[in-house]
Amino acid sequence: MSSNHKRLSMGGRIDREQPVEFTFDGRKLAGYRGDTLASALLANGVTLVGRSFKYHRPRGIFSAGPEEPNALVTLGSAGRREPNLPATTLELADGMVVESQNRWPSLAFDVQSVNGLLAPFLSAGFYYKTFMGPTRRAWMFYEHFIRKAAGLGRAGTDADPDRYEVRHAFADVAIVGGGPAGLSAARAAAAAGARVALIEQDFLLGGQLLAEPSDSAAASWLKQAEAELEGFETAALMKRTAAFGSYDGNVLGLVEQRDPTDPQPNGETRQTVTMLRARSIVFATGAIERPMVFSNNDRPGVMLASAARTYLNRFAVLPGKKIIVATTNDGAWRTAFDYAAAGAEVTVADLRPVPPAALAAEAAWLGVVVRAATRIVDLNGGHAVRRVTLNGPDGQSEAACDLVCVSGGWSPTVHLTSHLGSKPAYRDDIDGFVPGSFPAGRFGAGAMMGTYATGDAIEDGHRAGTEAASSCGKSASVPAPSKLDLDETATISLREIPSVGRGKAFVDFQMDVTTEDIELAHREGYESVEHLKRYTTLGMGTDQGKTSNFAALAAMATLRRATIPKTGVTTFRPPYTPVAIGALAGRATGHHFKPIRRTPMHDWHMANGAEMLEVGLWMRPYFYPQSGRDVNDAYVAEMRNVRQAAGLMDISTLGKIDVQGPDAAIFLDRIYANGFAKLPVGRARYGVMLRDDGIVFDDGTTTRLAENRFFMTTSTAKAADVLSRLEFLLDTAWPDLRVAVTSVSDEWAAMSVAGPNSRAVLSAAFPALDVSDEALPHMGLLESEWEGRALRILRLSYSGERAYEIYVGATAGEQLWSRLLEAGRAFDLKPYGVEALGALRVEKGHVAGPEIDGRTTLDDLGLGRMAGKRSGFVGDVLRRRPALQAPNRQRLVGLECIEDGKRLRGGAILFLPDEKPYGHGRGRVTSVSFSPERGHYVGLALLAGDVAAEGSEVVAVYPMKDDETVRARIVSPVFLDPQGERLHG
Amino acid sequence: MASSMSSRDFSLSVADCPLIQVEGWDGTLTQFEKSVSASLGTKLPASVGETVRHKGLLIIRVAPRRLWLALDEGTQAPALAVDPDLGCSVPLGEGRVRLKMTGPDIARLLSGCVTVDWHAPAAAPGRAVLTSFHHVSVVFLRTGETACELIVPRSFARSLSDWIADG
Amino acid sequence: MLRIECPCCGPRDHDEFRYGGDASVKRPAHDDPDPEAWHRYVYIRTNPAGPHREFWQHVTGCRQWLVVERDTRNHAIAAVDFARKLRARKSTLRKSPA
Repeated sequence: MSSNHKRLSMGGRIDREQPVEFTFDGRKLAGYRGDTLASALLANGVTLVGRSFKYHRPRGIFSAGPEEPNALVTLGSAGRREPNLPATTLELADGMVVESQNRWPSLAFDVQSVNGLLAPFLSAGFYYKTFMGPTRRAWMFYEHFIRKAAGLGRAGTDADPDRYEVRHAFADVAIVGGGPAGLSAARAAAAAGARVALIEQDFLLGGQLLAEPSDSAAASWLKQAEAELEGFETAALMKRTAAFGSYDGNVLGLVEQRDPTDPQPNGETRQTVTMLRARSIVFATGAIERPMVFSNNDRPGVMLASAARTYLNRFAVLPGKKIIVATTNDGAWRTAFDYAAAGAEVTVADLRPVPPAALAAEAAWLGVVVRAATRIVDLNGGHAVRRVTLNGPDGQSEAACDLVCVSGGWSPTVHLTSHLGSKPAYRDDIDGFVPGSFPAGRFGAGAMMGTYATGDAIEDGHRAGTEAASSCGKSASVPAPSKLDLDETATISLREIPSVGRGKAFVDFQMDVTTEDIELAHREGYESVEHLKRYTTLGMGTDQGKTSNFAALAAMATLRRATIPKTGVTTFRPPYTPVAIGALAGRATGHHFKPIRRTPMHDWHMANGAEMLEVGLWMRPYFYPQSGRDVNDAYVAEMRNVRQAAGLMDISTLGKIDVQGPDAAIFLDRIYANGFAKLPVGRARYGVMLRDDGIVFDDGTTTRLAENRFFMTTSTAKAADVLSRLEFLLDTAWPDLRVAVTSVSDEWAAMSVAGPNSRAVLSAAFPALDVSDEALPHMGLLESEWEGRALRILRLSYSGERAYEIYVGATAGEQLWSRLLEAGRAFDLKPYGVEALGALRVEKGHVAGPEIDGRTTLDDLGLGRMAGKRSGFVGDVLRRRPALQAPNRQRLVGLECIEDGKRLRGGAILFLPDEKPYGHGRGRVTSVSFSPERGHYVGLALLAGDVAAEGSEVVAVYPMKDDETVRARIVSPVFLDPQGERLHG
Repeated sequence: MASSMSSRDFSLSVADCPLIQVEGWDGTLTQFEKSVSASLGTKLPASVGETVRHKGLLIIRVAPRRLWLALDEGTQAPALAVDPDLGCSVPLGEGRVRLKMTGPDIARLLSGCVTVDWHAPAAAPGRAVLTSFHHVSVVFLRTGETACELIVPRSFARSLSDWIADG
Repeated sequence: MLRIECPCCGPRDHDEFRYGGDASVKRPAHDDPDPEAWHRYVYIRTNPAGPHREFWQHVTGCRQWLVVERDTRNHAIAAVDFARKLRARKSTLRKSPA
């Protein structure tokens, strides 16, 4: 246990009654409830927290919020391991296990910090220069070493046992940021009658008010504001919740951390992503303090002035006793005063020639040494700062210190408001960027608008909250907020011009980008901020350059002798803070990755050991193990049984559409390439639909149930697309047609009985029905009832055998399936799966998805005769385009494997026998199957028409298996029963 | 189909969903609605999302010209002859399933499934919201303060109820 | 994400919708034999930076096809209406004497 020797005995917002134990790199340490990991480390005197990305320089804690560039750690172990978390945002909890990152073998002795020596090679543009062009191949060799040297933490490789959620939420007014402006906005909006969501990434509300002493007027204001908000039932106070993205439609992406101090019940969600749809949004995201740029400004012990004040007042930690406050503005003086009051020896180095007299007077009274027109130019220290070199009117001098607080002014946090593409606008009076404009329903308040003084921010928040509520129609009158005057002087800031001594001066701490890198980029012509960013990797770390952005712009502006607005800003994109992929996925992983569709016979397939196959969202029987050892054995056996006896197949996945209305026949005539108007009632017809561009869209059978009513089936894959397309045509093109189309895919269980014994099976299963060829001819329909449900029997064949499609109400599907198997036992009826189904259709030369692939026409597929001389249907005109008639277009052929012991493979590329097998070839194999009928592999292929003469040979090359090469002969795609006699057999 | 799960705070039951869809043609909608209203003996919901409950029958307008007639368990289907010149009907009761849920924390639980604003007038008790659940079309019926139903396609029913049960 | 206000269901997330392309192109009559007309309808697009009329279907809701006027620069949606209603309105306009 360590001593908390930097902790003050009083004050702060920590609970000294609740000590908390944690480990850092294996060291047992203690803090208190209310600490962050960063404050607890500082309280224990831990200054060295991590190693930098590229140069492995020692780094400490720089900030007190999500802008932290340096103190990134890895939390947890095994599957729960989470890297790259800012120590400044981690709420301290008992048993927390934390490791530092990017160091080896240990944080204190890092071998790669020799990288100081390699530094010349790691400057901006290094990768581009070294590994582009002729040396590109070298990247393959060096990448491994470079990636290992430059990096952040490593993610765990075990499965994460924790739960994540994605939720959907709504609010009238969402307020991002729980500082003075946000609290005031939330109160105003809630009082106006709006349903409010106040979003705060910290585990405490208050924002910068938390940096004020815990017994101050600010603290009482905060207490009152919180109590008032808690009184509104319609106000949700979302703490530990970061808004990471702002999206169209006034949607915010939020990620909420579980309260780590709660005893953790198993299964509670670790992180929840909430997509919050708000009618209006108030951004009260505050501002981020800017660092100062000088040599070795990245050493542990250099800290933002406001952060130092937060550690002192919020966490009762005194990280240094001899401190230098380097500033360009008034705000940092308050850090100096508070530290002096806490007993530290303080020197203020203000860049301005004449700091405000009021501040100087207070400094004198508190014994703070003031050095005007003075800056830090260099810093000495390894794992902790030892002294700085100051440069002022009296020349250079050295000053010993153990903490350096810096403030280069403030930058409004405009990331979220920029996510939708609105560019921030530069404001001269605050020397910073504020949101350029707000779309309707969005408002800004407080420091993020450049309104820095607390009292003003509260009033601004009140205004914004009232306007936001009123913009969604909530405008009950609201009393003014209580005032809070923190006696802040106007923050007139002097732009800091970086001054560099011997050591590196960092602009972007996380990405290890220095002033030299910016100079190099400028020298080489990468002047635009977007180029600068990519050339130097500035702002591309997990902190998105929250502290570095302005300093880099200022440096580039100086080099270009241009103004800041002329230099411009880079684009901010979500996420504002890193979000774990697991949180974005929520519960949609594993078996919840996507919803699963089960057919009415699903349970039977499972109970009978079927191997299942995912087909889109559907689960379908792939094959039945009773049929053979593996899929190859099984499908051939299942095929044989269909050809010789009878097979039963679950075809419930087919798309089914009810088409009704006085104009239904006219409608079908327009959407199918072949005619339906003359189809007699009680008969079915195979139909093909085209797209407007003349390419085949889908195929299926449509049956005329009555004069004005049809039953359409589509392929399994295209069911949803076809329905939408039909609705599109009815809504937009032909609204005068009185036709209703409705998906009835879920309504019917569908099964196919195929094979020479199929009629006998039906007779046995439905003794009361006449299934003779006279009553139910090929392409005929029989409608009846079975067990109180509607029953439709269609005599259709996909396999080439006599076959029937039986449709029954879905709730009776499994029952009828079992009944058919029982009745069919005497006729060797056996179930078959999709592999056999596919093989049967290949043998019969029927096209399916692999051939109807969005590139083929009716003519390509040998179906041109279906359209015949018809016109006026969708796709008719453009299918006649000359390019679609070219003689070398790929068209459907059959292929027969002519090498013993070899097989065809789907996806193989076709070449002529004497051709070098290179490139796209003359065509490709689309579907293959072993043909029991032929005794070898057969396949369907799309092959250039000018080389597709039946009888000639081609070579099929399969690139996925070392260019496995097979000779094949071009034949008719109908391998079986070209006369169609078996349909009636 | 009928199964259920329940805990102290939440119960989920699954039931069949006898259902008839009727649709009127554009241009003669008023006559169509008059005739349907007359044969059912009740007024019809005026706009999409509104429902009317009448003698074991829940009438939901699911599209400007489309109504769903959902029958309570044991209710006889209404004798409904739709004039083909005015519209048509199609039975959908075999292909839909009703997931019935109650529990004090139901709004939070459902917020992981469907994007429905529990506080909005459009989702007030008695209202229907046609929306999606894991990209599947579902009809959300708000049946009470802390109770609702989802009418879901039968093929997805188990997958979706598993999702809810895991919440 | 976009939020699209369906005229009969209210504002919904865009993942409840299916995109249907440019609504400003004129579909030729079903029996129009002119390849040029079909070519223009299928392939010729203006790709404006600004307001764009486009088809969206509220596919997991009321299944109506809508015409949405969306600004391609900032996704601001100025108007949403039923495709069917707009078409009916247009045809009555066409019929009315000039």
